[in-house]
Amino acid sequence: MQKDKEQTEETAVGNDFQIVEGEILEVSSGEEIEPFAEEETKISIKKQRTKDKGQRANTKIQIQYLLLPLIFLTVTLLGGWRLSLEDNAFIFLKPPLVCLIFAVMLLALFLRAKLIRLEGWFSEDFTLLQNIANAAVLLTLFTASAQIFNSLLPEQGLPFWVFAFCFLWTLWTNLFSVFDTKRLLQSLGSLFGFAFIAKYLVLSYMTAPVSESWWRGILQNPTQEFFTWLFDLPRFAVGTGYIQFFAIVLYLIGLYLLPPVAMKSED
Amino acid sequence: MKTKYLQIFSLSLTVFYGFFILWLYWAEPKSLEDVSVKAKETIESATTKGEIIIGTYEVDKEKFAQGLQAFRSDNFILARDLFERADPERRDARTQFYIAYSFYRQGWGRVSNDDALFRQGLEQVNRVVTLDKNFRATDENLKLQTPVELKNEFEEGLKVTADDFNPFRILRERK
Repeated sequence: MQKDKEQTEETAVGNDFQIVEGEILEVSSGEEIEPFAEEETKISIKKQRTKDKGQRANTKIQIQYLLLPLIFLTVTLLGGWRLSLEDNAFIFLKPPLVCLIFAVMLLALFLRAKLIRLEGWFSEDFTLLQNIANAAVLLTLFTASAQIFNSLLPEQGLPFWVFAFCFLWTLWTNLFSVFDTKRLLQSLGSLFGFAFIAKYLVLSYMTAPVSESWWRGILQNPTQEFFTWLFDLPRFAVGTGYIQFFAIVLYLIGLYLLPPVAMKSED
Repeated sequence: MKTKYLQIFSLSLTVFYGFFILWLYWAEPKSLEDVSVKAKETIESATTKGEIIIGTYEVDKEKFAQGLQAFRSDNFILARDLFERADPERRDARTQFYIAYSFYRQGWGRVSNDDALFRQGLEQVNRVVTLDKNFRATDENLKLQTPVELKNEFEEGLKVTADDFNPFRILRERK
């Protein structure tokens, strides 16, 4: 009996830490467990485990079908959103074609690093509804990825091409590197973080504020006016940086929550 | 909640939120207040397009009448604005003909014509031909009753010919 109990304990330790705690309390009492009580404990453990599993699966399904589309669509909304420097008016910038290409490359990278397993998202065993719902989640991931590049790429001029080249180079070399999921997320976090600092801190610092006349601008901020003219830098309000910061953080949270394999529906 | 219902809810959420984002990027509102204005405009435009599809589209008779009144009192800028609002989808040949005619009357000059207005008029009259090849105005106050005649006036007005230097030109009348 003792052997059986130990075995149960071992199995519990292997499967679930919370259940192990309960079991240890039972054992530490030192009382001899009668066969009937033992049976009852087993059933209650089984029930608890099933309940926990069900709850966990429910949470995962809710994250997958509610939270993830919400996060990725919010990123899609925020990614192209800028505020004009003059009057804080909204500007919605559609993503250039290169952003869509980068998004496709990023998804390919996700597949290679097993952040997404296509066979786990689409299957003949799934219902049509589940396949469509999964496709919708992945579609939102694609749109969010495109908009993240739209957010991080400078809008025009030489910086646009320099940033685009850097992104292309990084994505292309990453496609042929050996990656695991954790490293990929770390790499993307640092890539996006660096691009964000370069665009919203360095380049925006170089951008001259709006002045009444060109001559006044030259006299007041000669260096900034020079860089704005040289790099053709767009002038956006400070709020733009905050919006894009939240967009990138949300996107990374979304990637962290994204399961490699879609949860199977129970019903 | 059953997974099936959750999936349906998720799909609806994605579709509605996705369309809202698409609409925002298409309408490009400048502020939060502008969002409601653009939404109203979009609904009106969608309603008009729906009317076109089901064949119940009609010009706004009240605005057309006001436009006609402005046209007859030679207030062509106001007339054009009212005609355009009466026929926002530019589907009615009669309204479009009046718009073209307003360009002619405003641009006509005893000594020389306003080329910019005549060019716009020419563009407009071509639209009338596209809408209805056999269009003929029923208004007796208009001396040019068909798009072809009006088009000819625009084309002749835009050409520089020896006839332009004829001093008797100042005696001609606006049609």
